[in-house]
Amino acid sequence: MAGYTSEELRAMVQPDRVHRAIYTDPAIFEIEMEKIFRRVWLYVGHESLVPNPGDYYCTHLARQPVVLSHHKDDGICVLFNRCGHRGAKVLNRERGNAKVFTCMYHGWSFRPNGALAGVPMRRDFPEEPLADPQFGMAQLPQVESYRGFVFASFDPDVEPLLDYLAEARRGIDELADRSPAGEVALSAGCHRYHYRGNWKLQLENLADMYHPAACHASTVGPDGRQFKRRAGDEGGDAAFFAPNGEAVVAQTGVRGLNNRHSSEASLFDKEQSGGHWDDYRAIMVRRYGEERTADILKNRRHSMTFFPSSDILLAQTSVRVVRPVAVDFTEVEVWPVRLEGAPESISDDLVRFVNITHAAASFIQSDDMEAFERCQEGLRTQGTDWVLVARGLGAEIDEGNGVFFGPRSSEVGQRAQHEAWRDLMGA
Amino acid sequence: MSVTADARAVAGSNAVRLEELRRFLEHEAELLDERRFDEWCDLYTEDATYWVPASPEQENWRDHVSLFYDDKHTMRVRVQRLNHPRIHCQSPPSCCVRVISGVRLDDVTTEGAWLVRSKFVMVEDRPGNPQRVFGGRYSHTIVQEDDRLRIRLKRVDLTNCDQSFPMLTQPF
Repeated sequence: MAGYTSEELRAMVQPDRVHRAIYTDPAIFEIEMEKIFRRVWLYVGHESLVPNPGDYYCTHLARQPVVLSHHKDDGICVLFNRCGHRGAKVLNRERGNAKVFTCMYHGWSFRPNGALAGVPMRRDFPEEPLADPQFGMAQLPQVESYRGFVFASFDPDVEPLLDYLAEARRGIDELADRSPAGEVALSAGCHRYHYRGNWKLQLENLADMYHPAACHASTVGPDGRQFKRRAGDEGGDAAFFAPNGEAVVAQTGVRGLNNRHSSEASLFDKEQSGGHWDDYRAIMVRRYGEERTADILKNRRHSMTFFPSSDILLAQTSVRVVRPVAVDFTEVEVWPVRLEGAPESISDDLVRFVNITHAAASFIQSDDMEAFERCQEGLRTQGTDWVLVARGLGAEIDEGNGVFFGPRSSEVGQRAQHEAWRDLMGA
Repeated sequence: MSVTADARAVAGSNAVRLEELRRFLEHEAELLDERRFDEWCDLYTEDATYWVPASPEQENWRDHVSLFYDDKHTMRVRVQRLNHPRIHCQSPPSCCVRVISGVRLDDVTTEGAWLVRSKFVMVEDRPGNPQRVFGGRYSHTIVQEDDRLRIRLKRVDLTNCDQSFPMLTQPF
């Protein structure tokens, strides 16, 4: 395909390095769309975006416009956003509610499950194609939901969602369990940013505990503490450097899961406390009991990243979506999550602190974007073809169920992502 | 004094006041253009908020994310970072110009704060990056404190506030 054999693609991922072409070659990007993004499960959106029948939310999967919709009988659907007649994109606003979705071009209309509802001057068409579902708004071949998180696949033969997520499903559980009702809502909109770089640069950054000391140096104040990034008295601003001079974050471990997903361990060793947090905790204890509450609120992870395009930010109680647009252009969304049944003030704080950490104007994200753009520029150079991903290689600890823990900001998470890339691209 | 003369006097003092407020807004823009961030921060009251909503007609900071929602403490951290020698996304730094127009005094609150509305365009240039243009409306709530004007709330409504952004480092 497009100048690369499967063997050549496989060879681009070595145990400790990857070839720079996987970030820079437009031909490889096209193969990725085919062999990765049209073969695996992709996160589409959360059910809370479409709570009522007729609700719709428009987004993109693998560069294609799609709609997450709510049909009164069929429930949650994922449709291609394309008129079954001449192909115009039907829904042109991001969110809305409608009994039928009407195409602006010739007025064809479709029910929220994609079925053809109306055709102006219908008798002039032969009836046979109008009865064919492909001339409605076609549905994605596979759609599954886990605790409100809707995933879809272009591949009718894709494995079940929970088999794909495997151990990484815990990221969704750990987020949803923080709600006393066990439910979250993506009801506060999202941060949107983009950068001139490959999508994998963002994905790898989500498993990177090594970069903050250098990359985020400007977030450390003269007192050696990083800005306060969470509410409450405890677990807020924190000493950035350990007594031995290493960044605390770089002493944190990372996990690779099932040769595809990744997870960063938490930077914080204390449960949050003080302020609204104590009221919230009391509600949690009433719902789950003390022992289970302590387990849920334990700072276990910073993040859980699902290959290839989504991330649960446990530290910021948010969901991130990575959307490849071109080999050197990527859009990202960060959606703070409101915890159903928790005091409003807790969810307000979550929304507020994500502004500081993940907005396009945030203290953290802006330097990460600078790093992604400089990588994209540097990787065009022809002096060295290989990108080193060797940190902590051989020091991984097998925790069972396909989970490997790499201490001290190991690059085990990036290696897991690259293994998934190699297996899908080399197939 | 006749009623008409009285009204004329009030109008006259408002015009003087509006001119003073307009100069103050231009002074703020000048401090940002010249990257005098500490002095810029000092224009704000201790209970100030600097707010850039991420949704048109956004009513509050709770129901929706914001591009900036800074209290004075967060503004100071932001400025500290802008002044930091290792802020990579400002190496090299941006060069900006902010142009303000259509300044009007919209309201005077019972606490004696002036609500001033204006329109602006900001051009940002950074070597190696495409030129960027931002535009929108400013709403300043301005109070008199110790004989000088200070900003209690600045709200910036960008025309593209709900779109995707490249990195934003400069306050608008």
